[in-house]
Amino acid sequence: MTNACSIVPEDDAIDPALSEDQFAVLVDAFAQNSDAGALTSLLRESHAIYDQRSTAAIVRMRGWILLALAQVGLPADAVIFALEELDTGHDGYLVAAAARALRSSDPRAEFAPFLMQAVGNMRYRDEAVAFDAYGAYATAADATTPIRELLITLTWLGPLAGGILPRLVELRAPGSGVSKKLLADLDRAVDAIGRDRVDPPGGRSWGRQPRALRATPGTPHGVPAAGNDCCDWRGSLGDVLRWPFGQRADSDAVRPVQFEDHNGTPISYGEFFTGQPSIVAFFYTRCDNPQKCSLTVAKLARVQRQLAERGLAGQVRTAAITYDPGFDLPSRLLAYGRGRQLVMDGGHRLLRATSGIEPLRRHFGLGVNFVESLVNRHRVEIYVLDAAGRIGASFSRLHWDERNVVDAAAALLRDDTPGPTGSPVVPSPPARLRTASTVLGTLASLGVALFPKCPICWLTYMSALGLSSVLPVPYSPWWEAALLALMTLNLATVWWRGLASGRMAGFHLAAAGAVVIVAMKVGLLSDQAAMPGVLLTLAGSLATVWSARPAVSMPASTSVPGH
Amino acid sequence: MSKKRRQVKKSTARRRTTSRKRAISRTAAPSARGALAVATSARQTVRARVAAMADATLAVVDDDQALQSMLAVLRDRKEPIKVRLAALASLQAASFSVVAFESCRTDYTATLRAVMDDPNAELRQRVLGLLMRDKDGAAQKRLIAGLESPAKALVPPEKALQLLGYDPHADAYRLARKIVKDPPNETAKREALRLLGADSSARPVFEKILRDKKEAPEYRRISASALHAIAPDVLQKHAREIVLDSSESEDLQAASLTAIAQFGDADTISGDAELMKRVGRMRSGASTKVKQTAKRLLTKYGQ
Repeated sequence: MTNACSIVPEDDAIDPALSEDQFAVLVDAFAQNSDAGALTSLLRESHAIYDQRSTAAIVRMRGWILLALAQVGLPADAVIFALEELDTGHDGYLVAAAARALRSSDPRAEFAPFLMQAVGNMRYRDEAVAFDAYGAYATAADATTPIRELLITLTWLGPLAGGILPRLVELRAPGSGVSKKLLADLDRAVDAIGRDRVDPPGGRSWGRQPRALRATPGTPHGVPAAGNDCCDWRGSLGDVLRWPFGQRADSDAVRPVQFEDHNGTPISYGEFFTGQPSIVAFFYTRCDNPQKCSLTVAKLARVQRQLAERGLAGQVRTAAITYDPGFDLPSRLLAYGRGRQLVMDGGHRLLRATSGIEPLRRHFGLGVNFVESLVNRHRVEIYVLDAAGRIGASFSRLHWDERNVVDAAAALLRDDTPGPTGSPVVPSPPARLRTASTVLGTLASLGVALFPKCPICWLTYMSALGLSSVLPVPYSPWWEAALLALMTLNLATVWWRGLASGRMAGFHLAAAGAVVIVAMKVGLLSDQAAMPGVLLTLAGSLATVWSARPAVSMPASTSVPGH
Repeated sequence: MSKKRRQVKKSTARRRTTSRKRAISRTAAPSARGALAVATSARQTVRARVAAMADATLAVVDDDQALQSMLAVLRDRKEPIKVRLAALASLQAASFSVVAFESCRTDYTATLRAVMDDPNAELRQRVLGLLMRDKDGAAQKRLIAGLESPAKALVPPEKALQLLGYDPHADAYRLARKIVKDPPNETAKREALRLLGADSSARPVFEKILRDKKEAPEYRRISASALHAIAPDVLQKHAREIVLDSSESEDLQAASLTAIAQFGDADTISGDAELMKRVGRMRSGASTKVKQTAKRLLTKYGQ
């Protein structure tokens, strides 16, 4: 998988070592050419242009891009970036630029809740911002502010923002966090929205509507639900992506990645993320945006509770992997998880990659960048993996709804995510069944291989038994058929396990063993081929048991009190 | 200055004072109103104005004109520096009332940015401190520019590093590393090491300093503390070696003994005969500080 989650193509032509001033010139040139695509591609957090820059520098750079997009018109595939800032941003400059950029797109009722969310995020931290030059900071009292920009955008939306009107009116109350100086802007927004108010269908108020914008459970991304107007443009949002079975990239490259969990227990990706579907979020403990990492881990705890309520706690694993493995030592992970009521045990862990974040960054296409060892910018992102550790669904940029994430995991578990080109996901069989199947299958292969070919051979075997005082057994040719059926059944379960774990080597070995035994039975090979055949079957069966081993090798539970 | 100009100036000042007084009298509490009138009046003595500033805080959050008059004092380079510093302290105190101060915040931050390159070093430093506590991008940009090119520096390098430490995402680590290698002064090196204490990739720097007996004891202590934060296992290894090395400074040995006793793995320590033997010897033949920490360790591990 190269970059499963990227929405826009990478622009390798840009020199990542550009100075900030050179970068501003480049952005201005794109704006002059009305090249919205190039500007949008620069908004990806993982773009090399953001590597080794301070967070403040990235704020200046992204703000300038959003302002350039405000000039040329915000294209549909860039709307998600503006909404992301409104949803989770906490830097005044970026939020103000996003609000301004949104006004250059087509007005939509769905923007209103995001704008209200941003007003909530910026209350008590409103600041003067300057848009007249790259990297400028406001030093005069007459500058605009994020809340002013948000109110202007709400005014621009007018009656389309009818759903948030009651909440907007509440902001007029003293102590609501909106400056007295902005009351005139607030009144203008209230007047504009209330003029010919349009209530959304099916109710007066939408509350926290953004979630309704996202893919409904079971609806693949980009496929609008019939009769749901809100989803006509959702295809461009890109916050929820789903990969059908046959289109999932394999996880071979990350299987060897070694982690250390919150207790310091080492475990590999292949061990933890295979055998069962998993939900995995990314975070780091030094993230200073309360709307991002802290909330993500707290929401993961709510996901765990929902899994438990639906009886799926033992069937779906959860994990949160830190972007900052150098600093987030096990003790820090443990404290962070405890502080957010996260259940932490063998199937639910906080992890740090001991070999670095790079392989994971490539596999998941993580929306993150770094200055030295520290994260300088990242998006909100959570993934649902199938039993082979492959990405089945991702939720990124906007706040995800816990129910949708649990539904996505349940869908993988229920095996109800058939894809147009692939087979359904096959859940891994329970550990006890795997062991029993291996033993029986191997014994069956042995039985078939050694089964006497004729009644005379049978008598020879029986006389040997008689010599050892075992009661004679009458000749029963149907036993051979039964043993052959058992051997075939074993082969089928090995194939099943191989399919679930994504490792088919075991099946190939067992199949080769079966072919050798059958060939020997029909006389194509000598009797001496029997033992290699049985050994191949045994090796194949053991290989598949080993590949699904973590399901039975979880260390003791270290649950947080109360869970 | 001509007589006419003096008169115009006087009358303008009188008008301003009257307008301020009127504005204040409308909303603010009587004591705060009076204090603000004194604090912002150019006719009062510096001492009286500084004293009044402390009582004017409440007036600032109540009324925009009161706020503007206080901000004007802070911005005005012709005002006595003591009065401006007192105005800053008063505004800072007002900002603690988060809800009430919300209407003032935008102007306050803009004014702080405007005075961060004030000619007065103390005011500059205080303003930069306030801005950096809010991780202000403008302040950060200026501080980094000052470290990269000392001619542009608003504050001494050690202070700049200290202020940049408020934001770990400030891209100050590379500059701190440079300063550790080639420090402009001893204090700057100390602050650079403190800043790097949150950088997990700085482990080799701290290991080198901790084991270098020629380094100042303070730097070595900071290095031990940083290693405890970013690589506790590595610190345990070095602490053991320092304790075993009889030529090491007693101060550092005491710190190492404390690190082992408080944060070491109990089984490893109990089973380390060489270490326990050495600590046993330290209990009797070293400085009081070392003796005490050695006794504590031996008591904890049942020796």
